[in-house]
Amino acid sequence: MQLRYDEDFIETAVFCRAHSPPPSGPPAGASPTNSCRPPALQIARFHREREKCYDLRDPDARHAAFFQVHLDWFREWRLEQPLTEVVEEFVLVRGRLTTLAVRKATGRHDEGAELYVNETGERTGLLALRPERLLHRVTVRDFLRHEFMHLHDMLDPAFGYAPALDLPGLNAAQKRLARERYRLLWDITIDGRLAAAGHTPAATREQHMLAFDRGYSFWPEARRGETLDSLWRCPAPRHTDLLALIADPRGLQDAARPAPGGSCPLCEFPTFHWAVAATLAPAMLRRILAAFPAWQPEQGLCSRCLETYEASAALELAAAQ
Amino acid sequence: MSNVFNWQLGREMEYPYEAAYPDQQFAFIFNTNRCIGCQTCTMACKSTWTFSKGQEYMWWNNVETKPYGGYPHHWDVKTLDLLEQANPGGQNWGGKPEDVKAPYGQFNGKTIFEAAKSFIGPEGANRALGYLPTDEEWSAPNRYEDHPVGNEKGVKGQYFQGGELLPEHKTWFFYLARICNHCSYPACLAACPRNAIYKRPEDGIVLIDQERCRGYRKCMEACPYKKTYYRGTTRTTEKCIGCFPRVEGRDQAGGGLPMQTRCMASCIGQIRLQGLIELNPDGTWKEARHNPLYYLIHVAKVALPLYPQFGTEPNGYYIPPRWVSRPYLRQMFGPGVDDAIEKYSAPDRELLAVLQLFGKDQRICHRYEIKEGPKVFETEVRGKKFVMYNDTIIGYAKDGTKIIETTVEEPLHVRDAKHANSI
Repeated sequence: MQLRYDEDFIETAVFCRAHSPPPSGPPAGASPTNSCRPPALQIARFHREREKCYDLRDPDARHAAFFQVHLDWFREWRLEQPLTEVVEEFVLVRGRLTTLAVRKATGRHDEGAELYVNETGERTGLLALRPERLLHRVTVRDFLRHEFMHLHDMLDPAFGYAPALDLPGLNAAQKRLARERYRLLWDITIDGRLAAAGHTPAATREQHMLAFDRGYSFWPEARRGETLDSLWRCPAPRHTDLLALIADPRGLQDAARPAPGGSCPLCEFPTFHWAVAATLAPAMLRRILAAFPAWQPEQGLCSRCLETYEASAALELAAAQ
Repeated sequence: MSNVFNWQLGREMEYPYEAAYPDQQFAFIFNTNRCIGCQTCTMACKSTWTFSKGQEYMWWNNVETKPYGGYPHHWDVKTLDLLEQANPGGQNWGGKPEDVKAPYGQFNGKTIFEAAKSFIGPEGANRALGYLPTDEEWSAPNRYEDHPVGNEKGVKGQYFQGGELLPEHKTWFFYLARICNHCSYPACLAACPRNAIYKRPEDGIVLIDQERCRGYRKCMEACPYKKTYYRGTTRTTEKCIGCFPRVEGRDQAGGGLPMQTRCMASCIGQIRLQGLIELNPDGTWKEARHNPLYYLIHVAKVALPLYPQFGTEPNGYYIPPRWVSRPYLRQMFGPGVDDAIEKYSAPDRELLAVLQLFGKDQRICHRYEIKEGPKVFETEVRGKKFVMYNDTIIGYAKDGTKIIETTVEEPLHVRDAKHANSI
């Protein structure tokens, strides 16, 4: 496996190392010595080497020279070490990836690992990382392990990962919600496995419990605890098992009648405010059926949709008068 | 370190270089009461100077929503916090306001240059206290746009009672337009290890010599206003150049007369006024009673420097927003805030006339004169009598050319019926 770096990533990383510690200080748990600056003589040498590159007039040669200087110092200051050491722990990642590319993430939400497979079957892992993370050698390892576990699962045939979530019958909003749930469950299984292996997980079981309670608040407490435990302790989770938990956790798709939180058959948005279709006037039913011929009154409709039809009827009446 | 006189602090302070002052100083006033956050200034600057590859994140001019907004994120809070750490509880003002040498009294705390001595790095003491913002902090130039802050907990389904009443709104925000302040004691200049940053002797505009810059980013770390930007494609740092070709009078549109910068000229809210100030040998402002900037800053004292306690003697001044929490404003603009707002809320005859000069012409006004007109209105503003006269104010360029003539009451044009709906 080849390890490649984005030019911007290593340049920012070495500058972070050469400058003051980050303003926010080291994160909790990090040893303060990790973010210490290198000796002044090294910083001076780094700048001297950099300065020479400015004399190169050819833009390509200049960029190449800068890249080499930054890469040399990236290694000299052992900023590469956490990456190379942690990836060694993941045999599958090393064995199955052709390239692991590391790029600069612009913020916390941009960080993460992704897998790309080209038409010839070559697999490339792309890791987006904030360079300042490398200043904290303990926490960066925890972060890298978590992200490499994602790559590991994506590459593991036993996990059975598929990039597109196969969730028929869900609308766009529900699919987004399902993706978020998938992310939550996958993170729980990863951190559970990391904790079992004696590593520090990205989030503790208690932190995951809070998020899980929010995501599955419609389940009874006992069921939530039971499911979280099974995910946290699962040594070999599977993609299909996670899908089963996210697709329709309320069991609404099979519900014969409108259920709280179910999707309105007209607008497809989830609703907790159902209109009673049985009490609708025949004219209103005809109006709705004209727009949705396959709709049946037993399926119900949300009060927002009913309001829309009532408003359009009132407008037509007013126009006629 | 040398001792230099900082009139905004009313005292001498330490600075890495000997004092040296330009013949004239580029300075400007923003009236925050008028800013609507339309970002026209931002785009005027962007489309003129920072539209190229590698400059995408550069906003030499930006407008942020205070109190939460900022570009880079929380730039001011972070520097204030560093100063507080260096001098806990000591960042306060004292003394009495005096003449042009101490108009806001005396600052008893530490400036970023004085506080830097306590931050010893491997290369010795820093020249200015600061920090290098992360990429994340540069990631969104208008974060928290229109986010207000409230001093009372809200009640669901109910508006604040009397929330709109002055002197302070219960829920508030305001727009703070910012460019490089072209400081008299620039921290960027002080920190540059390559001596690549200089103040032009002719107008005090602070520039970075692109041939000398070697991308150390020390200027980014030191500038408390965070107005220098590293460009990845050239690996040098860039900043606002004060539209110097216009200030020199080289823009053809000015007919050879010095012109205000693009951001000033494009402002649709007419919140901006930029000029050139003549200085005394000690760096204080030479008396120019009828220069609009001198009048607003040293006579009417309605325009105040932004975070004067940083110690760079910024040349950007602000008429503070009159609805905003006073402790917040005192922290941001110094102890002159209360008097400034009092004066601005019920302006006297001259102040009202001078305020009409904002945004009226692109050329730089060096002197004004007022022709008295009739009384047109009279009222009371929070117990204070306010009388409005329809005076005419005339502005002149440095060479005496008349460039502005306008009245306090804006002329009302009634469009002819046949063009009623045309533009």
